[in-house]
Amino acid sequence: MSKLGLQSVGRQSLFTRLDFRSKLVMVAVISILAFVWESPIAGTALALSVITACLLAGVKWSYLKWVIQLTMPFFILLILTHGFWNTTQVKLLTSREVLRPLFTVPRNWWLIGGASMSVEGVLYAINVISKMLTLVLVVPLAVFTTDLNNMIVAMVRARLPYKLVFIFSSTLRFFPLLFEEVQSIVEAQRLRGLAVEKMGPLQRVRVYARVAVPLILGAMARSQQLEVVLQSRAFTGSPDRTYLHQSTLQSVDYAVMALSAILLVLAAALYVGWGVGKFSWLL
Amino acid sequence: MDPILVLDKVSYQYPRSPQLVLRDISLQVGRGEFLGLIGPTGAGKSTLCLALNGIVPQFYGGRFFGRVAVAGLDSLEHPVSEMARHVGSVFQDPETQLISTSVENEIAFALENLCVPSEEIKARIPRVLAAVRLEGMERKHPHELSGGQKQRLAIAAALAMQPDLLVLDEPTSQLDPLGAQEVFAVVHELNRELGMTIVMASHAAEEMAEHADRVALLSAGRLVRIGTPAEVYGHPELLEERTLRPPQVARTFYLMQQRGVLVRDIPVRLRPALDALDTLSRDCRIDPPTTQQPPTQSGGALLSIRNLEYVYPDGTEALRDVSLDVGRGEYVLIVGQNGAGKTTLVKHFLGLLQPTSGTVAVGGTDVRQLSVSELARSIGYVAQNPNDQIFNSTVGDEVAFALRNLRCPLNEVEERTLAGLQAMGLVEQRHQHPLSLPQGDRTRIVIAAILAMRPEVLILDEPTTGQDFQGARFILDISRRLHQTGKTILVITHHLYLMPDYAGRVIVMGKGTILLDAPIRTAYHQVDLLRSTFLDPPQAVLLARHLSERVGQDIPLLTPREVADCVVCDSPEVQAP
Repeated sequence: MSKLGLQSVGRQSLFTRLDFRSKLVMVAVISILAFVWESPIAGTALALSVITACLLAGVKWSYLKWVIQLTMPFFILLILTHGFWNTTQVKLLTSREVLRPLFTVPRNWWLIGGASMSVEGVLYAINVISKMLTLVLVVPLAVFTTDLNNMIVAMVRARLPYKLVFIFSSTLRFFPLLFEEVQSIVEAQRLRGLAVEKMGPLQRVRVYARVAVPLILGAMARSQQLEVVLQSRAFTGSPDRTYLHQSTLQSVDYAVMALSAILLVLAAALYVGWGVGKFSWLL
Repeated sequence: MDPILVLDKVSYQYPRSPQLVLRDISLQVGRGEFLGLIGPTGAGKSTLCLALNGIVPQFYGGRFFGRVAVAGLDSLEHPVSEMARHVGSVFQDPETQLISTSVENEIAFALENLCVPSEEIKARIPRVLAAVRLEGMERKHPHELSGGQKQRLAIAAALAMQPDLLVLDEPTSQLDPLGAQEVFAVVHELNRELGMTIVMASHAAEEMAEHADRVALLSAGRLVRIGTPAEVYGHPELLEERTLRPPQVARTFYLMQQRGVLVRDIPVRLRPALDALDTLSRDCRIDPPTTQQPPTQSGGALLSIRNLEYVYPDGTEALRDVSLDVGRGEYVLIVGQNGAGKTTLVKHFLGLLQPTSGTVAVGGTDVRQLSVSELARSIGYVAQNPNDQIFNSTVGDEVAFALRNLRCPLNEVEERTLAGLQAMGLVEQRHQHPLSLPQGDRTRIVIAAILAMRPEVLILDEPTTGQDFQGARFILDISRRLHQTGKTILVITHHLYLMPDYAGRVIVMGKGTILLDAPIRTAYHQVDLLRSTFLDPPQAVLLARHLSERVGQDIPLLTPREVADCVVCDSPEVQAP
């Protein structure tokens, strides 16, 4: 299965034992912290913790590396834009009139000559990058360590509408097929003389854009077939149904949810009282 | 007969269809009966299957006349969800009809919808998995199953509802021979051992003749004939005038009959056909025609493989120690079970895969030195599913796409596009959207688009899967025309019975190696080897083998006509039983 497909870890750990609902609480708290904390130190520590947790839970390093490689261009862009141009916000956050220059582009350079990259701007970019990494990697930490069936039952028990849960599970079922279709169509284009390997990024985007129409039409045809299949399996979309699997919270789930809540309250108190997590913290 | 299914003067018209799709159909199916539905594409088989559980007309709308009743329930008066308790449905596409993410959840899905308690669901799962021979696979993801296993899972999901009637709409059309055998075996067991009533639409003539109690022939929405397999398949002319294919044994004895051999009842199953042949071989002369092996390749190898090994990134060894030469102008058939390495092999010619070890050369040049787009100029590849190979908004643009990539001058693009459209009979459709056309036309569009590049080699990968007999012959006839113009043709297919009129050489693959590389007359008669890789030789070949054993002489015949022609009865009194 491709990297975009649903994976599951092969190792048993605390994360695999937890109910999906307790993981959702944990994910929510980590996400709130990632959003709220502006400190590059706290943010980086949080991102590193999530990466470590992923590795301990058995998420493959190759997957994490792939995610980081995929997002790397955005990270570079963030460092450049914040480093050079995000001066007003950073001055406000640091209460400084003048920012410390990291380096300055020679004046004779066209268009960007004289621009200065600030230390604070770069630190702010690091904070944004760590936010992104945390939010992106906390998802596989919860999803890859959960059996899909348990995930679905847990979502129903968490009182999410059944139709919504069904759409979610169908997406996970059919997403790998959709991705295979994309690959087949691009392959067909190459087999008709399209030299994708010689193309620049923009031209490649155009190639993928051309894939959209047959993909959407194919998905529409498939969804109609799916509707017929669902009808023949007595599906009405009604929440009034039974479930093969049951989902029950264990003491470890309650412990994780309680710890998550405590962490959130503690972080809020430290943030408000001592500025822990604010941009200027420890800088 | 205690009818479980009653159709009374059923006619139906889809909402935007200009004409009736089903016309005045009346029939009854008894409890425990196996009814086969046959007919050319567009005859109304799928619509009839959907009418049995009320999806037609309840889901599709349209105009419906007459009455369908299953176990006494009128399909118009009861919602589909209620009809689903009584009618289990299995569809053509193994991918689309599996909706859950594990085998046990797939089976449980309908039961959950019917509010069956979880304890009861848990009790039913192992029972139905055993019935379809999928024990121990409860936790597997459908993605991990083979095509045959997926279809058996769909059958298990339908069975779990404990229906009165199981309806299967071409469940084997997209499967390899092993998958098809598995599905037919399971359906046969359900019918014979558990007494399950079956209605099954299929183009697999030999299997239908073997397993069905009765066969209903549909044509243009009408029920043309219904009767035992002998009453329907025993009249090949009835089928052939509707572009259907009778079992090869029936066609063989029909052709004998046409030549004056008195055949009282045309056999439609293999065993009776072999017995009839015994009688004939006793009383008649067996005069096998002189068969010619196709000419051996002239000139050097166009495609060449030496000691090829390929291991997929996940560690699966797909090819090992494969060496092969294909000469210019050859017509080669590649056969083998799914996973045998057929597609992996041809993808090396296209540069889509690079050898783990060994070499692959096209026209003497190592493919590592060429890009996919460069190789595409000399090798055209038509994959199984045309929908994944269509991405332009008009038929004309689709055919011209490759020419623009090849930077042909504008007038040449226009000229070659027109030639490609004409060759495939698509000129009138050139401004239409390709995906608005029927599946058969889409395959022709892809072939036209590939041919526009004027490749020296054409590879057709499963071109006949999902096609009816006429559609399959149409595509293969194109390949023959191209071969006659000097092109090199490679065809991958599971439908061995289609190929004697086309291929000269057969490569049998199994478990990543070449098991046999021989002229078609030699290869098709290696019955044990073919069966070892789950390929069943055509019935005509089995008849020829039987004759060979009877007369103690090798008779390497391939087609019903060849077998029919070699039985010469001088006395008109001689009769096959």
